[in-house]
Amino acid sequence: MVRAFVLLAPGGPAPCRVLYARTFGTPPGAGPGGPRQRLRRKEQLLVVARQVASQCQLLQASLGRPSSPQLPQLPDEPVSLQDAPGGVFQMSPGDPFPERVTVVWLSVLALAFALVCEPQENLSLAEITLRRLAPRLLLSLRLLGPGADVLLRPDAADGLLDRLLPHGQMLFLNERFLQAMDRELGLKVSR
Amino acid sequence: GPEAVDGLQRLHLSVAATKYPRKLDGKFVEQLQTVLCSPKSPEQIQVLCAAILREMSPCNDLVLSCDEIQDTKLLSLVSSVLLAQGSRGEVAAVGQRVVQGLERRLPEGQSARFLLPVLANVISLSPGSLTEEQTNVVSKKLADWLRYASIQQGMAQPSGGFFSSPRTKQPAPITEVDGAVATDFFTVLSVAQHYTQDQWLNVQAFSMLRNWLLCYGGKEQSPMDSSEGNSGTPLVPVPATPGRLLPPRERLRDKAFAYCQRLVEQSTRRPLKKEDGDLQKACLIEAVTIMDIICKQDSSYVCRAVSCLKILHSRICGDATYARALLPIAQLFLNHSKQAAVDSDAIYKHLFSDIPALLFHNPSLAFEFVQFCKDNSQLFTDSSSIFRQSFPNLFKFLAWNSPALISEFVDLLPFLLDPGTATEIFHLLLDLPCLTAALDIQLRAAALPVSEKAGADPAGKPATCLEAFHHPLYRSMFQYLLRSRAAPEDAPDSLVPLRQLLGSLAGSPRVVQCAETVPVLLELFFRVVAEFADGSLINQLVVLLLQRSDQLYDIPAFKEDVVLGSNLAMLCGLRPALVVELSTEILEFSGAVSNIQSKEAIFTHMAWAVGEFLSVSHDKRCTVEQITRFFETLEAVLFEITQLRPQASTPSCAPRAISVLMATLTKLAARSQDLIPRVSMFLSKMRTFVQSPAVTSVYCEEDLEEILIRATELMNLLKMPSVAQFVFTPPVASTRFQKEVNDSLPLALRMVTQLLEPAAGSMPV
Repeated sequence: MVRAFVLLAPGGPAPCRVLYARTFGTPPGAGPGGPRQRLRRKEQLLVVARQVASQCQLLQASLGRPSSPQLPQLPDEPVSLQDAPGGVFQMSPGDPFPERVTVVWLSVLALAFALVCEPQENLSLAEITLRRLAPRLLLSLRLLGPGADVLLRPDAADGLLDRLLPHGQMLFLNERFLQAMDRELGLKVSR
Repeated sequence: GPEAVDGLQRLHLSVAATKYPRKLDGKFVEQLQTVLCSPKSPEQIQVLCAAILREMSPCNDLVLSCDEIQDTKLLSLVSSVLLAQGSRGEVAAVGQRVVQGLERRLPEGQSARFLLPVLANVISLSPGSLTEEQTNVVSKKLADWLRYASIQQGMAQPSGGFFSSPRTKQPAPITEVDGAVATDFFTVLSVAQHYTQDQWLNVQAFSMLRNWLLCYGGKEQSPMDSSEGNSGTPLVPVPATPGRLLPPRERLRDKAFAYCQRLVEQSTRRPLKKEDGDLQKACLIEAVTIMDIICKQDSSYVCRAVSCLKILHSRICGDATYARALLPIAQLFLNHSKQAAVDSDAIYKHLFSDIPALLFHNPSLAFEFVQFCKDNSQLFTDSSSIFRQSFPNLFKFLAWNSPALISEFVDLLPFLLDPGTATEIFHLLLDLPCLTAALDIQLRAAALPVSEKAGADPAGKPATCLEAFHHPLYRSMFQYLLRSRAAPEDAPDSLVPLRQLLGSLAGSPRVVQCAETVPVLLELFFRVVAEFADGSLINQLVVLLLQRSDQLYDIPAFKEDVVLGSNLAMLCGLRPALVVELSTEILEFSGAVSNIQSKEAIFTHMAWAVGEFLSVSHDKRCTVEQITRFFETLEAVLFEITQLRPQASTPSCAPRAISVLMATLTKLAARSQDLIPRVSMFLSKMRTFVQSPAVTSVYCEEDLEEILIRATELMNLLKMPSVAQFVFTPPVASTRFQKEVNDSLPLALRMVTQLLEPAAGSMPV
């Protein structure tokens, strides 16, 4: 299962920012209740975001790319995920989640998408899921255009996650199933 | 209307934007919940309300309950809020409601499709939420959905046009990903233009199958048992007789296994759509993993699994795109092949010898491969095994993907180290950034068109690294560096020419990132080796340390960060006798004045170690001649660097080196008292040294004062030879108290100085 999804702006010189984050359920009995639980959740996600940003910057450096790529000129230009850098790393128990987690991430232009997975999760499927979420989120939230305000459209992000990653459950969808899902969502994704 | 949407969106932002609690009026929260559950609310509003309520979780004012909700989509949405509360009771309540929804016939138009993910989340958050009876109900349904989904394509939603006549169209059969008509049951790799509800359920069921089996697939009792993977033969073995259904658990296992076998067959078909290829591989990995779980829960499946996977392995082992699937296959064999009496060595050999060398640059494979090693660390304890012998290959993953894998290697390294591998790994660690550079060249060389691979003129010198790759002068060095297996005997005399050649790549970001991981690994290396190393290995490492100290890859900061000096001191502390045993090598090293400048840290630590450990109390073989020889060697160096008028050729060095040399000479003199007059005279000249104008321009005032103070203290100590002897040659520190005495040497020196030269008005207490 996926514990959380994070959409962030890794920054470069600027500090990384969490633009949207969604956790899928809170494990009962783990830690404090009340407002501290919420605080803890937010801080855990920020730690993940920072680690993703750092890995992203290091990978970009090793690939010889600039750390803050330019946005494409046309907002509707299809974004190619072919060379999108990505990676996977583990976070030890206690830092920041009580149990070990594996983080799979993908970077597209100036944004990064990350899935926080339970250990022993199918990482190939996680990568496929991210590669499907990214262009659809970019499209629905118009993340590439000017004045894009992902922060003000949680319903669009939620709608996508509820289909592609319902309750944190990754789905083995072949291309036809994916098309059917896009039809249900009213999305026109370039293929 | 749209204003409501806008308002809710802004509200969500203001709640989400801060990590500190934002209080919303209790009545308002209640209203949010009402709106969420109201059938009249548009979907977008419902989604926003749920998002706000989730954002605020845990929420005291929650009165939400899923009991009355009939709409499955809404139920899923409300559940997302309830499951975010972190309350076991809430999770259990959601679980009950969902199972209830699955059990009964759903109202018209509702689909169970939205309920399964909720259930998956429930069991992941709180595995004990369901009763035995409930898990049986679900197991039965899962088995049905997996095995008996429709094998005909669904119908398009009726478009309602005037000319549409949907009823005249016959439903087409489903196809495989390569276009062939399917001849067996429906799976996630089945293709249709439109899908039916039960086909969606098939997908959902398979997607949650692994976690379900881990949780509830094993022996019937608490779910946590089966998650530890003990092989559960059923308490009462029930063979499937015709006309009699298996119990739900066994039946699900049976259908699940058949599904996985079918996926294995489907996953090597050539897909019409390229993207389906990625899914095939993910399905394959999942199928093998589930088979492994099933075998653990019921060992009667092992034979079938092993034979199926042997065939699969032979089909995919030559295809690099399927490499990630080799790992779960190997895992299954590791877990069960003993039982199946199958020889799986060829599988492990291919995995460890070939795959890392080919695919080190694939970050996902690298990560999973290293995880595999960590999960099976017991394999590495057998030093002759293929696993242990393949460590040079494993380090390629780290060399190429350093930032992502360093923490994994910190966990893995201890398992690779033993007396047989220690020296080779030591060299490997120091050359890790070199390996990165070599791998880069290997990749580039492989990408060259064949015509260019012929290589340059073998008689001449290669102009570029790329040319050097095949050049006879360098080829064997490259081959050694890029070897797949441990080869202590095959080490070339020196890799120095190769390191120099690769110097042009020393600034490349990937190489630099790799270099940054080496100090951490070296520290760990020495810590682990110190635990098992015997005398001969320690001696070997010390000699290598001294040798390698100037044979390091020329990356800025690499040489400083690689802290060999302190580890040298640690090794000497472990085995003081080595100072005597390796006196030739140490004398040679200490006598080279240039070393004090180019390898200052190591030199200083070596000098310190000589002072500490060259004594009869540490090794009975220590003779007066040896002490004198070391004394003279170090005295010459100190003389060289403390000239009153330093020449251009005089090496400059840190003041600490001067202090340590002075202290060492004093310690040696304390043990061989004929030397005392020489040292005392030397020390007395230090005042002149620190005041000389040429020197004051090189060192700062505090440093010079420190040197002078130290020289004075040492001189004073030598005025009382027997005290000096005691202070400088304490009994070998075998107890903690004695160790503390040693560590307080500077304090002791200060006290003695105060005794000899009491400052006006101060009396030692």
